[in-house]
Amino acid sequence: MTDELLVVRCQLGEREALAELVRAWHDPVWTYVRRMLDHGDADDVAQEVWLAVVRGLPRLREPGRFAPWLFTIARRAVTNRLREEYGRQETTTASGQVTEHADEQVVEDRAEVMADRAALVAGLSGLPLVEREILVLFYLEDLSIEDCAQICAIPVGTVKSRLSRARRLLREQLGERGTR
Amino acid sequence: MMDADDMIRRLSGPVSLRRRMAYVVALVMGLGGALTTGLLWATEERPPPVLGGFAVLCLAWACYGGWALTRRTPLFALDRVIGGWIAVAATWPLTLLTVALAVDRPGWAGWAGAAVNVVLALVAAVVLVRARSARAALLRRKRELGG
Repeated sequence: MTDELLVVRCQLGEREALAELVRAWHDPVWTYVRRMLDHGDADDVAQEVWLAVVRGLPRLREPGRFAPWLFTIARRAVTNRLREEYGRQETTTASGQVTEHADEQVVEDRAEVMADRAALVAGLSGLPLVEREILVLFYLEDLSIEDCAQICAIPVGTVKSRLSRARRLLREQLGERGTR
Repeated sequence: MMDADDMIRRLSGPVSLRRRMAYVVALVMGLGGALTTGLLWATEERPPPVLGGFAVLCLAWACYGGWALTRRTPLFALDRVIGGWIAVAATWPLTLLTVALAVDRPGWAGWAGAAVNVVLALVAAVVLVRARSARAALLRRKRELGG
């Protein structure tokens, strides 16, 4: 069953269709949230995403464009959570308690760059958020360049340049760790 | 990691049809009750204070229902049709009652109340017609997609 049909059935008020939609998209959403946050609160943010999806579904005008819409919501939830965390970190840093940034996680994976999905996943945690996000959407979620542009609210050209920069950074990072 | 079935369980509250219909009833009945008791309060020569209190209480329920429906709970196509029927069933008898009251106790307050109720009844009818046509369009699309 296509996403469009599932969404239309959800909009009609069929609860089984909503359950099917959640089953189909829960893992991609959770993966995206987990890769972007690197924290244990991915479950909470994923729940926020689904609540927003359920509330917004009746107003979704293009059911065929469900995936980009879903990831736009997920991106907003992740951005809000990161903003809260940065705010907290600034507060604690100002009071003299320096906190360790979650992004400074050590990557031990020695797999091939780009060809190996596992290496990509492991390498992602060391990349800046903007580049990490575009890699997750394009490679892990298999979204098109156009969909990535819509989700991130940036031009297609910017997506391409970010992807290129992200690949270079990932290559450099894994190269520094002796994978090449 | 929470799995999809856990998530579905967590979403069971917002997608509960009973809860959504309860909000619709709170909105419609609260609004109707506030208008009717407000009208009685305005047209009585010596209105009992409890009438004013009841009008405020009804208004509070209407505000709560309106807030919940716009901020917390989605209304899907079927819910809108049911909600539209509830609104029609509640506002049309109320409109007849307030018009009868206005005729029985002529005055600006009575006619103003009746006019507001007539407007509400018309709005309810429009909401129902639009909800039915939106649902019909979705059903057509569902059939086109092979569902």
